[in-house]
Amino acid sequence: MSLAQVFREHPNRRYIEFGGKGGLGKTTFSAATAYWLAQQGYKVLVFSVDPQASLSDIFERDIFGQGAVEICPNLYAQEIDADQRIREYQNEIRQKILDMYGLDEVPKEIEDYIQATAAEPAMEESAIFDAVVDIVVSGDFDYYIYDLVPLGHALYYLSMASVYDEWIDKITALRTEMQEYSQVAAILERKKESEEDQILAELQDIKQRINTSSGILTDREKTAFFFVVTPEEMIILDTQKAATLFAKYQVPISGYIVNRVIPPELAQQNIPAYLRNRIEMQNKYLKQIDETFGVDVVAQVPEFERDITGLEMIGRVAAELFGGEA
Amino acid sequence: MPEEEQRDSKLKQLGRSVKEFLYGMAGHDMTRFALKTRGSMEHLFILITMGDLLGIPILPPYYSLRLLPYVVPQISTWKRRMLRERDLTDALA
Repeated sequence: MSLAQVFREHPNRRYIEFGGKGGLGKTTFSAATAYWLAQQGYKVLVFSVDPQASLSDIFERDIFGQGAVEICPNLYAQEIDADQRIREYQNEIRQKILDMYGLDEVPKEIEDYIQATAAEPAMEESAIFDAVVDIVVSGDFDYYIYDLVPLGHALYYLSMASVYDEWIDKITALRTEMQEYSQVAAILERKKESEEDQILAELQDIKQRINTSSGILTDREKTAFFFVVTPEEMIILDTQKAATLFAKYQVPISGYIVNRVIPPELAQQNIPAYLRNRIEMQNKYLKQIDETFGVDVVAQVPEFERDITGLEMIGRVAAELFGGEA
Repeated sequence: MPEEEQRDSKLKQLGRSVKEFLYGMAGHDMTRFALKTRGSMEHLFILITMGDLLGIPILPPYYSLRLLPYVVPQISTWKRRMLRERDLTDALA
């Protein structure tokens, strides 16, 4: 099955993710897919959850931390600036404290805590995670394309959702129990209604956000996940391992895309032994890929003669990826 | 008729006093207990969400921050209670 076919047969899959080891072409394929879909008339957002994102490089435009930037008609790209997001979030919290208690400045102890949280190791990932929720629930686009982080990180990102979920469940349970005691007291004191617990409301909101986000990532109907591989032994082995792990998190794997294939036609020409050897080696691994992933391989993309940057090159990759149907 | 009104209000007052008397006998202790339990749980809740304030590392501080504004007034009593030295008399209280 070709990639274009996959898209046509599953029109409801509107969240597209590309995963794989670092440097294999996730960003390239994210951009190319976004470009192809935009050409088909869909409004597309491609965004990066990687703190070291490279969408700016591939589109040859600085879009870091600027929200969704229009690259060409229908095609928008976004790089999340985690630090900026954390700063804004902290300011929001400060403002809320000042407003709620009519203070002129945040008490020192509280201020220290707010500042210390920025240094927490998971803060950056959490901020990105939260930013992604904002992006995907907004519903402004037809397609959302996740340019994911390298494999290990992506797993961490996925597991974060379940960790959060458990944490929230536990403290929500405690909070609900507290609510019951308040109600008992209120009834005994013959007050009409106990005060609404704002913390509980806040917790339920957080929980709903997390569930939306992780729900999308693992929804077979709405989401397509593609692995990027290259014809190299280590990459094939690692991808197999990763696929097993991803399956555990119920990530719906929709196919594999082989990148960096040296055009086999070259072998007909008079080429140096060095290149001939590489082609032979590659043939062996292509066979291995075929045996391992078989019909799940949805596209093969050649190694190009130059870097993939700029819309013209992205267009060429898209043509290869979707069989020239652009 | 002012006389009737006066009698009415006296009756009402009496009714209220009886109600308060009964509440004091039966309900007040239960209310106090419910509120005390609620208070203890509040402190437990702050501990598991903002433990970092005492140096106890807590998992996801990102979302804890969202709860921070609501517990600001309780922070100092919470800290005092958590860090207070304890002795045998605590068991009797």
